[in-house]
Amino acid sequence: MRRALLNRSNRLKRSNRLRTLAVALGLTAFVVPLFAHHSSAMFDDKKEVTLTGVVKEFQYTNPHSWLLVDVKGPDGKVTTWGFEAEGPSTLQRAGIRKGDLAPGMPVTVTGHPMRDGRPAAAWIRATRMTDKKEFVPRAGFAIR
Amino acid sequence: MTAMKTALRLGVLVGAIAVLAAIAISMASAQNAPAWIDQDENWATSKQTLQAFGERFETSEALYEALKRAAGSIEPLTWQQMGEPAYDWSGIYTRTKGGLQFDPDMSQESGPASAKLTPAGQQVLKTKAEQLARTGGEYDPISDCRPPGTPRWFTEPFLHEFIVTPAQTWLINEMVNDVRRVYTDGRDHTPAEDAYSTWNGDSIGFWDAETLVVHTKYLLPGQYQRGVQPNYSDQTTVVERWHKVDARTLQADVWVFDAVNLSEPWYTRQSWTELTNDDKQLRIRYWDCRENPNNAIITTDAGTSQFPDFTFVPNDGEVSSDPAVKQAQEGRGGVR
Repeated sequence: MRRALLNRSNRLKRSNRLRTLAVALGLTAFVVPLFAHHSSAMFDDKKEVTLTGVVKEFQYTNPHSWLLVDVKGPDGKVTTWGFEAEGPSTLQRAGIRKGDLAPGMPVTVTGHPMRDGRPAAAWIRATRMTDKKEFVPRAGFAIR
Repeated sequence: MTAMKTALRLGVLVGAIAVLAAIAISMASAQNAPAWIDQDENWATSKQTLQAFGERFETSEALYEALKRAAGSIEPLTWQQMGEPAYDWSGIYTRTKGGLQFDPDMSQESGPASAKLTPAGQQVLKTKAEQLARTGGEYDPISDCRPPGTPRWFTEPFLHEFIVTPAQTWLINEMVNDVRRVYTDGRDHTPAEDAYSTWNGDSIGFWDAETLVVHTKYLLPGQYQRGVQPNYSDQTTVVERWHKVDARTLQADVWVFDAVNLSEPWYTRQSWTELTNDDKQLRIRYWDCRENPNNAIITTDAGTSQFPDFTFVPNDGEVSSDPAVKQAQEGRGGVR
């Protein structure tokens, strides 16, 4: 009986310690990584960049897809930007097929830019300018 | 001499009582094994019951054996049964909820995991929290397309297929072509002297009516997921009970045992929902990081992740402010 009480007491103490740790860690808990396959540390999730250009290539690949868009700057210089999204099956679930964003199509894309200054971003949403249809890759995680 | 005989008899008697007590406890454990519990409005209480049930066992083997005894006579499935709703797990599924949390009842903002941890396990969480606070990021080992491994396997959010046959059940994760095979033909685990560890270990199981009970051991170490979630060691073993709860939903009771990181078994209810796939365009396809060089990931000195070399950026080393990118470029001699 005494042993059982001691065990219970130890368990309660351990439980309290865990609760304390939980509170301490909860203060520093981070929001979920944007991507499920690699950490999104390279993207600045506090910033957004919106660019308009022409689809150069839609790399519909695992584990991640890349929408390459040629963007013309004020000086007329063209820079290719890469927008990263989840892989093909998640895009399909979001209603984004490879043919939806074919080379040459004008698009406006919004994403979280890279922290290191390179022309790439985590794709948040893209609008096909011809019909204003919007493509949101993260919608692919919804259950339908 | 008489005293010696008496002591011997006493010893035998005590031994017999101990054996009988062990058998009684074991039978009681089997008899008290909770049947499948639906997730209703009383789920919080039910979850505590299932957690407490796991805590009654010192090892996953003891829990598995208790479930086996509770099942009574075990009859292998037949091919004729495969079309019955309980065993027809066909379709494309995805994780029902939980995001990247191992415990689906936890939200991303819930903080650390619901597991009861050893001091070593707590230290792991503390170290991870400090890394995230210091750098704002982390490096995930699966960035190179290695398998997530079990038990992390339960948390992966992509497509799944589940194939039931009388002798084996295949639990398929689209990501990195990851298949867990559960042998239900009555075989035992590989003998310890011949066993070797793998990402998903060695799984055996049996059918208790419409519930598949699984035991897994011989696992490689890993982490339950990214963020502030625990690690698991190579001593980890797992007991699962899989059940089709309705036409679109498969669920599993999961008890993880790991003496290194867990002070008690960690119980969670995992769930997968069948996706609508009317045009049959959702398919499980081969998955490899080398499909696209833009998906290559390196770890930085700070322990976070970075892309070393984009195909669409002609001069990554000059444009990037990250020393890790410059180092990667120099390492390649500027040649792609």
